[in-house]
Order: sequence, then C-alpha cells, then structure tokens
Amino acid sequence: MSVSKEGYVQYHYRDVIGGFFELPTENAKAILPPDLQPIEPHHGSSVLSVMATDFKDSPVGDYGELVLSILVAPRIEHGQPMPRSAFYPFRLGTTTRESREHAIQRWHLPHYMKDIGISWVRGDGHVTIHATDNGEPIVDMTVTEHEWSPVEHRYQAFMVDEEGAYTSTIIMAGDFSENEEERGGITIHSQSMTDLLADWDVNFTPFRELWMRNGVQTFHPLRTLASFAKR
Amino acid sequence: MTNPLDYDYSSFFYSSGDDPFAIFEPYNEWYEAAQKQGYYLLAQPMSTPPGGEIVLTEGHGKRQVKLLNLASYNYLGLSARPEVIAAAKAALDQYGLGAAGSPILSGTMDVHVQLEEALARFKKKEAVMVFPTGYSTNVGLISGILRPGDWMIADQNSHASIVDGAILSKADVRFFRHNNAADLEKKLQKVQGKKVVVAIEGVYSMDGDVCPLPELVAVAKKYGARILLDEAHSAFVFGEHGRGVAEHFGLEDEVDIHVGTFSKALGGMGGYVAGSRHLYNYLKGFARARFFSCALSPVVAAGVLKSLEIAEAEPQLRAKLWENVAHMRRRLEAEGVDIGHSTSQVIPIMVKNDRRVWEIGRRLLEAGLYLQPIIYPAVAKHRSRFRVSISAGHTTQQLDEAVAILVKVLREEGIIV
Repeated sequence: MSVSKEGYVQYHYRDVIGGFFELPTENAKAILPPDLQPIEPHHGSSVLSVMATDFKDSPVGDYGELVLSILVAPRIEHGQPMPRSAFYPFRLGTTTRESREHAIQRWHLPHYMKDIGISWVRGDGHVTIHATDNGEPIVDMTVTEHEWSPVEHRYQAFMVDEEGAYTSTIIMAGDFSENEEERGGITIHSQSMTDLLADWDVNFTPFRELWMRNGVQTFHPLRTLASFAKR
Repeated sequence: MTNPLDYDYSSFFYSSGDDPFAIFEPYNEWYEAAQKQGYYLLAQPMSTPPGGEIVLTEGHGKRQVKLLNLASYNYLGLSARPEVIAAAKAALDQYGLGAAGSPILSGTMDVHVQLEEALARFKKKEAVMVFPTGYSTNVGLISGILRPGDWMIADQNSHASIVDGAILSKADVRFFRHNNAADLEKKLQKVQGKKVVVAIEGVYSMDGDVCPLPELVAVAKKYGARILLDEAHSAFVFGEHGRGVAEHFGLEDEVDIHVGTFSKALGGMGGYVAGSRHLYNYLKGFARARFFSCALSPVVAAGVLKSLEIAEAEPQLRAKLWENVAHMRRRLEAEGVDIGHSTSQVIPIMVKNDRRVWEIGRRLLEAGLYLQPIIYPAVAKHRSRFRVSISAGHTTQQLDEAVAILVKVLREEGIIV
C-alpha cells in the first residue's frame, strides 16, 4: 500500500474481472449527469460495466469490491495522455466498512452501505465471482481469459455526490486479458444493491470480458469539475 | 501518446472544453502516429480497374506496385467488362457526365427509368427505386418510412446505413444478437402492439455468413413485423437466377422490402429498393436522402443497366464465382487458415490480433497481395482479420498465387502452423 505525498494512491490486487453488457441508452441516461455522454457500441445501446476486484494491499488493507458503472466518453485534452476509456460508477459494494468509508471520503464514490461478501472461484481459463449480502445473492459473474500481456492502461472516472462533481485518472497496471468471444456470463439477482437494474433491459451476455491479475491500481489526485450538474 | 494501436476512431468522439474543433488536434496527433503504425495501408490509391490484378500507388505516393487483388467487391467481374464500358461511354456521349438535378425534379433521365424497370422485372417486384449510393438507399428508405414511436429491430451486425437511417427517423431501435432468431423473438415480444420493421442482411459484409432467413421471417411474421432485407452482398450472387438470398430460400414474397446495391456484384455504384408500387410512390415523397441528392449519374446508370443484362444473360458468371469460392475455401481450409463462419464469396481471414494485423498487411503488400486489414470497431475487439472478396473475374492461377502468399506470411507470423 502507498499514498504518495502528491496524493497518488495505490491499491494492489490479485484479480480484477469485468464484463461489459449492453443496455438501452435511455436507462443509462436516466442516471448519468447531463454533462456525461454514454458510449454507444450500437445506436441506442449503452454499456453497463460490472467489475469485481480482489485487493490484497491498500490504504485500507485487504478487501473485495464490486462496481457497477456506465461507460462514458472520456474527456480528451490536447497534450494530455489519452484515457483508454471512462466510467461513471453509480454503485459500489465493498467487503469492509473501512474500505467503503475510505472510498466515499477520498473519492466520492457512491456506495451500497452494507458489507458484501465476494467469493472467487478460479478455474482453468476462467474465474467466477459470487457477490452476496448476508448470504443473499447479488451478482454471479464468470469471465474467461484470452491472451495475456503486461499493460498500463489509463482510465477516467467521474463521480458526482451532494458535495460536487469530480474526476480522477486511474492507472491499471498488471497482466491483462480481454476478449469478445461471448463465453462469459452474469446473473444479476434482484437485491437492494442492484435495484436500479431491475427495470433496465440489460443484455446479460457480456460482449466484452476483461481480466487483470497481479497488478496495481493507482488513483491520481481528485479534480473538481465545476461545470457538472446532477440530474 | 502511448501505442497508437491501443486506440481507434471510436476514441475520438468527444473532447473537453467548449470548442467543437478541440478534438481535431488530439485526433490528428493519433492519426499521424497510427498512419506510421499501419493505417497507411488503408485507402491507398489504385490506378487500374478493381480486377484480379491491380496497380496501387503505395507508401504515400512513393511507388507504384502491381498486386494480386482480393480486396475489391466486383463479385461478377463486371466493372471493366468491355460491353459495360461501351454502354457507359455511349451514355456519356448522350447525356453528359451528370444528371444535373434531383430525381424528383429534372434529374430523372430515360436511362434511370429503364434501369428501374429492368430491375423490377428481374426482381419480380411491382417497382424499384434507384438511389445514388448504397448508403443513401438505406438512409432514405428507413428515415422515409419510420417515425418517432415506431421501432426498428435490427441484427447487431447491421451496416451503418441501416443504423443511420434509423437514427435519422427518430424511431426506437433495438439490436438482436447476430443471426439469432430466438433473440429477435425476445426483442419483438417487448414491442408488441408497436409498428415494427425488422432489418436484416442477406450476407454480412465482415463475416461472409448468410442470414437464417426462414427462421427470422417466421419470427417476424409471428409478431406482425415488416421485414427489410438488405442484399448488398448477396443480390446477383445468390439464388438460381441471382435474385439473392430471398430467392435462395424461396422467400421472396415473404420479405416486404428488398434492398441492394450496384457497387458489389454489378461493379458500379448506387442502390435500389424493390417492393410494391405503393412503397415506391411513398418513397418518392419521403426518401429525402434520394431527392435531396443529385440523381445517379446517367453514365453509371447505363453501365449498371448493361451489367444487369449481362448478369441475367450469363448465369455462368455466378457458376464461375461459386467455383472460385469453393476452390478458395478448399485451399484455405487445407492450409489451416481460420475463415470463420463464411458461407459466401466474402471470406474472412481471421488474424485475431489487433496489433499484428497491420504488420501482416504490410508484409502481404510487400509480397504482392492486396488485402485490407479489418479491425475494431468494424469488427469486435481481437477479431481482426483480412477480408477476401472472391470474384468471377479471378483466375484459378490468381487465387492459387494469392493463397501461396497468404499462407507463407501467416505461417511466418505464427498465425497458422
């Protein structure tokens, strides 16, 4: 774990897995701040990202995290490094209270306010997570592997809460695999962490599966966005 | 800039700030870097007809190279047939270069009417409307007939012209999983009671696979949806008489609207909508992409008309095309080349490596073979490929030479063993 004096915070992980799922853009726009544009792989279809991380070392120790996001257009600035993509996380669940409070205070990330459990089942060429709340299932997701290569990817995250609007650059370094072979899957259970999705028309076959392992997630210092408005 | 091949066109839709031009600088920074990494392989100017052998100006105008060509559509090899060229030249003498007007005002010439009537006879439909491009055909058609509150349910691999037509119409759009009738049914169940058009294609341009038309038609009919079948890559190629995939499956009357282009099998340009006279009349008033464009050049219309006559009179062209397709498939499969799920004259050569496809493309060009890299977002990530277009105009020797080059490079690059 490290927090540098410049405000860069590192979180080391064993595994991060993610699935991208198409959903109607009107569902995505219903929760996005007006200044954020959803990415549309097809006209009228936006992207729900479900990501789970198994952190092994961080400012708040060892914990698990489940993040529901909408993919949005990154903000590209001339002369600045280009982000690979951008996210608007709208609900996070963590396995510890300390990690939840840290993420809310430091990064203004919107959380499900109860501890969740995340179990990881690592198989040959695939990994499955089961996220639960007191035994009640939240999400089951399987992601499959493709070719692995070491990467350092740059992402943007946008956060909005009662205090304001923010962005941070996130660098994900580690071994990386992604594919669009449509071999993985997800079950999102009807549960209070996923209540927003109940009325959404999500296509539950991931069109893209991502997997990173043995790496580090680095948050750059938070920047305030003056122009953002909340719906 | 990190590796430019980590990004693509889809990365540059938006920029920060209030200036709508602010995206140009970061885009051009990427574009210059991407050109050097391989994007220069795209859109290199050709200085011959798009036949089996071409001359290309390669490397930013540095040199002209003679290449085997498997990248052009020209499925029946008609683009440079002497009779087609003669017809176009005669039209040039008769009409001049262009139509000089909208088709609903002064731009309709007798050759346009002849082409529409000949196509209607060929397609066995009441009427055919000609459009200046394939793109404007779908855009004009779909935006002409759908309205806000209507629905279009389209295959997820639909051509951009179908998608853009729907966007312009302001109808609601959902995409069903590629060639998946069960998923189409799920989507249709959710829009019961609405006015719905199901949009599908005969042959999909990136994978060369054929739509399962009987299953899709059955589902669409069950829910009372209208069916639009785009046969851009299958018209004049599939079916006993070349009327397309609908003829191949014996479902010509079950499809409500038939769309096609002249730029593929007929070697020209433009597109058409075939259907009822009522549809034709309606589109005359509502297909804005057609009547706010100048009519198709009469020179092209005359050439296309001659191509159509040849395609009808010479079924041996289709036979030769399918013979070439079978030969190519046999050769590629024998060498262990992954050609995906193609069952048509469009044959993908799967590389499945979004970075190396550029280097392989460069090596193919160096070895004398012209093929275009196809990458995300045109296809899914890590499904990069080269797209082979077989023509009746290819000789067996040309195909064998192309396979030899392809196999050598793919083997040296470790794509095949």
